[in-house]
Amino acid sequence: MNRLLAAAAGLMLLWGAQPGGAAELRALVKDHRGKLIANAVILAAPLDAKSALRAKPPADAVDQVDKQFVPYVKPVFVGSKVLFPNSDHVRHQVYSFSPAKRFELPLYAGTNAQPVVFDKPGVVVLGCNIHDWMVGYIYVSETPFFAKTEAAGTAAIDDMPPGEYTVRVWHPSMEQGEETTARRVILNADGPSTVEWELSLKPALRVPRVTGSASAGYP
Amino acid sequence: MGRGRSSAATLGAIAALVVLGAMPYIARSDWTLGAAAALRHDNNVGNAESPPDIVGDSTIDARLSIFQLFPLGESYSVTVGGDLNGEAFRKLTGLNNASLDGTISLKKKWGLGAFAPWARAGVSVGRSSYDYSYRNAWNYRATLASGRRIDERWNLWAEYAFDRRVASPRTEEVPGLSGDAFSQDSHNVAVNVEYSLNESTFLALGLLGRRGDVVSTAGDSEKITYAPRALAEDPAFGPEAYAYKLTGTTYGFRVGVNYAPTPHSLLGLGIERLNTHADGGNSYTKSVPEITWDYRFR
Repeated sequence: MNRLLAAAAGLMLLWGAQPGGAAELRALVKDHRGKLIANAVILAAPLDAKSALRAKPPADAVDQVDKQFVPYVKPVFVGSKVLFPNSDHVRHQVYSFSPAKRFELPLYAGTNAQPVVFDKPGVVVLGCNIHDWMVGYIYVSETPFFAKTEAAGTAAIDDMPPGEYTVRVWHPSMEQGEETTARRVILNADGPSTVEWELSLKPALRVPRVTGSASAGYP
Repeated sequence: MGRGRSSAATLGAIAALVVLGAMPYIARSDWTLGAAAALRHDNNVGNAESPPDIVGDSTIDARLSIFQLFPLGESYSVTVGGDLNGEAFRKLTGLNNASLDGTISLKKKWGLGAFAPWARAGVSVGRSSYDYSYRNAWNYRATLASGRRIDERWNLWAEYAFDRRVASPRTEEVPGLSGDAFSQDSHNVAVNVEYSLNESTFLALGLLGRRGDVVSTAGDSEKITYAPRALAEDPAFGPEAYAYKLTGTTYGFRVGVNYAPTPHSLLGLGIERLNTHADGGNSYTKSVPEITWDYRFR
């Protein structure tokens, strides 16, 4: 595994050393009313599998702040270790039932929780067994070329080998399947290429945090 | 029979001092602090049957609550908390009151996550202090509740509660008939469902049932005079008003819509409608529309 990472890192350096040799993909995601969409994951899978070799940082993190997962959506490369630090004063019990990764971190505070390795592509829905309204998403990408849209609905993936890619988008609330968003694009080193998507989003139903005195909510 | 303004004020002041004194500790600990307010209109505050006795009034209610959750392993948690509540009436100011309650409950979940079935048992003890001090009482409540969130839209639960209210007995107005009209026991059940319309709005419906003591305040009518198990003057409703303790059965519903403008707050609009059939053929209805606001600081 270390050899693979070293080789990939070497390839990265090689690509980085080629002046003007890298391509860039820019994405814009809106809903059908034109509203810009944050937290959409943009994925670019090279048709040439060799181009997918790329080293990623060894660990990512999803924090817990004010009894919420931060960030709400976290894309990671398959095989990544993800830490779940707890910045709250209360203990959390993080879990997922998702087929891409089933796990449970027993009650903990601070930064003591063991990292979780996400070794299977797919969407992992996070929850906390104590605070039912807490929900977060980890998108485990099989391609190293991904980014997440900001509030302006934009994302950029740079330092990509020129070539032909299949690009697609995923969002926690999208109605259509992720595969229906797939497109072929050819990226070259001349300048950034831009792809736009228009998604239909369904209401993001969440367990309410404050439920009123007559309700059966937390605790 | 004097008004117990000093009593209510003292209780409120002590409770406020306790809460304020604890604020620095709250800020750096696991305690959760909440605040709530409600504006209500009860169209039959005295639970009366005859139109001349029916008095409607509006109230404003404010509450500070504090609790801490202690998870006990994977399945159980204990919650310890307390409420400080104040209620002010627009017309019937003798019913203005403050109360302080402490609660402890044990919750079990069968499984992980928001959709796991759960059950909860709890007890609470509280003291209510009224502007007219003869209504002061200790309040005891034992609850059993169970429920399950079916999915992100539907949430179902049911609750049973035994309520006991213990007030000081008053002078017998009728020889042989107790003057302890304001002490009450009751069994309460509720079945509730919530339905989320979108990420910040949900509808709530509750079906309610109650069997036990009720207090109807009315004038000296023959029908109600022969039914009560206790009788006492109730000057909060006027000089000729009497409180009659009856045994009754209540059915009703509560329906409302709630909107969360922020993750920490909730606005509610609802109405409760209750029909009670009590001893001696005494029946009454009441409707209580309300606007509520809940805020959780952490």
